[in-house]
Amino acid sequence: MKIRIDHIAKIEGHASFTADIVQGDVKAAKIKIEEGARLFEGILKGRNGEEMPEIVSRICGICPVVHNLTAFKAIEDAYGLTLDETSILLRKLMMLGQIINSHSLHLFFFSLSDFFGFKTDLQLINAYPEKTHDATKIRDIGNKIVEVVGGRSIHPLTPAVGGLRKAPDLEELKDLLSDCKNILPLTIKLGEFFVNLKYPDFHRETIFVSLTNPDEYAIYEGKIKMGERTIESKDFLAMTKEYQGQDKVAKRVKFAGKSYMVGALARLHNNQEKLNPGAKAVLEKAKIKFPLYNPFYNILAQATEVIHCFEETIKLLELITTGPIKIIEPKISNRTGEGIGAIEAPRGTLFYSIKAKDGIIENINIITPTAQNLANLEDDLEEFEHLGSFSALSKEQRTDKIKMLIRAYDPCVTCAVH
Amino acid sequence: MAIFDLGERFLEFLTKVNIGDFRLAEELPDVDKYDIAIVEGTAITKEQKRRLKIIRKKSKILIALGACAILGGPQEIKDYRGNKSRLIRQIYPNIRGIDNPNVKSVKEMIKVDLEIPGCPINKEEFFEIINKVIKGEIPKIEQKPVCEECPRKNNMCLLLLEKPCLGAISLAGCGAPCPKSNFPCDGCRGPRKGINLNAMKKALIVKARLNEKEINFILERFGSKNEFYKYENKN
Repeated sequence: MKIRIDHIAKIEGHASFTADIVQGDVKAAKIKIEEGARLFEGILKGRNGEEMPEIVSRICGICPVVHNLTAFKAIEDAYGLTLDETSILLRKLMMLGQIINSHSLHLFFFSLSDFFGFKTDLQLINAYPEKTHDATKIRDIGNKIVEVVGGRSIHPLTPAVGGLRKAPDLEELKDLLSDCKNILPLTIKLGEFFVNLKYPDFHRETIFVSLTNPDEYAIYEGKIKMGERTIESKDFLAMTKEYQGQDKVAKRVKFAGKSYMVGALARLHNNQEKLNPGAKAVLEKAKIKFPLYNPFYNILAQATEVIHCFEETIKLLELITTGPIKIIEPKISNRTGEGIGAIEAPRGTLFYSIKAKDGIIENINIITPTAQNLANLEDDLEEFEHLGSFSALSKEQRTDKIKMLIRAYDPCVTCAVH
Repeated sequence: MAIFDLGERFLEFLTKVNIGDFRLAEELPDVDKYDIAIVEGTAITKEQKRRLKIIRKKSKILIALGACAILGGPQEIKDYRGNKSRLIRQIYPNIRGIDNPNVKSVKEMIKVDLEIPGCPINKEEFFEIINKVIKGEIPKIEQKPVCEECPRKNNMCLLLLEKPCLGAISLAGCGAPCPKSNFPCDGCRGPRKGINLNAMKKALIVKARLNEKEINFILERFGSKNEFYKYENKN
């Protein structure tokens, strides 16, 4: 039996899926990315380094903030710049907004229908009007954080090499703080709703990779944690290899020949003791035994992170709204060097490696979370018989389960082809 | 994504229309006819180009949405770079099976009834326009420069502060969020009609101390260099 899904709905971008099913086993499961090549790494060569973050934010409409900021971090690393605390705090706020915005979209509008068998969001909206409004309000806050700090909710404007080009308005930040406090209970309610969903059984061991940071639940900065090991980004990248998938246009990534998983579930494995109390409390209600090698739980991990990000936003806003916000103009004396930027994007660790000479980019490589997850996802799909009672399902039910697994990863196809 | 960002208003809008094909929110089979089709992005692969033609045939009104659809987007930069085959080889070891055509905007491939520009689009503008289209109107975007909407106009002008701002030649309607954030306008909505490109270039050379190459880099960003250069040596 052949399974072919032409256009997997409710993911960012266009991808299809093919597999053979022989006596209940899935063979040759492949995701095919159907997007056109955009050659971002090529077009940036020879251009001004300062232009790069603005251009790369156009790689993706869902996660432009993280592309923008990771590019800045790579440049700053290459130029040997360190940022002032205020700029770092404001960039962290933008990242929290980015994750809230992206996760709430995926959780509610992309994933939830799968649990109820709805084929359109309209069915979902009609069945859960109150939840829809809650999810929308939560997502609006994510957008508002980026808008207030970044100057615009999509493709932020205020970040600059070495800091920020404009301080946010103090009154707007105070408004935002009170909004976050008002909406926080809704995130907990939504989190509990996701705790009570029935997640399909699945088990295949893998390696969870994310940033880690002794001071906080790592998003903006940290070293790389994989299993029990913690290493520098550059050592991690030295061991990873990109290769072209059968679709040619999207690369896959493996570490020392092995596939691995990045994203909310990986972060939860590596850093859950650093979660804020509200997020921790909701997660405990799920009574999960870690390690949990079931990618469907990436959805619950995202719901947990939404709560965490709200709590963290409140924490940071309380800190920064105590007095006037001063932005320090960075002094840039060197524009030559090599640098790496790594940030936890909503879908996992995003890496930028650049080489610049006198402010002109000589080389750049971008490794997106989805490129890393694709190899792991394909390995999962090959072992789909590990899904409880898979062999007893009809073709249509199998197709639905496959789509559900793909969507649980929250792949961003447009990011994968950059 | 900006459409999703309309939040509650988008949800309410969904109740007023029948969605034919919106893969980001549903997985029903395609329908036969559309009253309104909205196309975003650029068609690069053969399949995308084929589909674009089908959508045109099925639709009464076709709207191109955003900088990629209207101008070509950053992916068009490669066409300004000369050797696009060399460029693709630097990224992919195996280039067989990867389409790498010259990037074209939607209107260079099919007839477009209405364009809503910007990267990102202005969701307020989109909402206003789409509600008019539903009522049977085809609204026109007013041809005025970003400077007219700019909160820094007059003495705080970024160009006067020696920053490479294209506000004077760029199409307004965005509300000038960039100069508001001290970020010079780089024309993501493309040129407004009847601009004086030569005067703008001269101002960028004198005020912002750019050279010709640096000016072209900015004009290329959204794939819009060809659009801006239509006005070279005019006016």
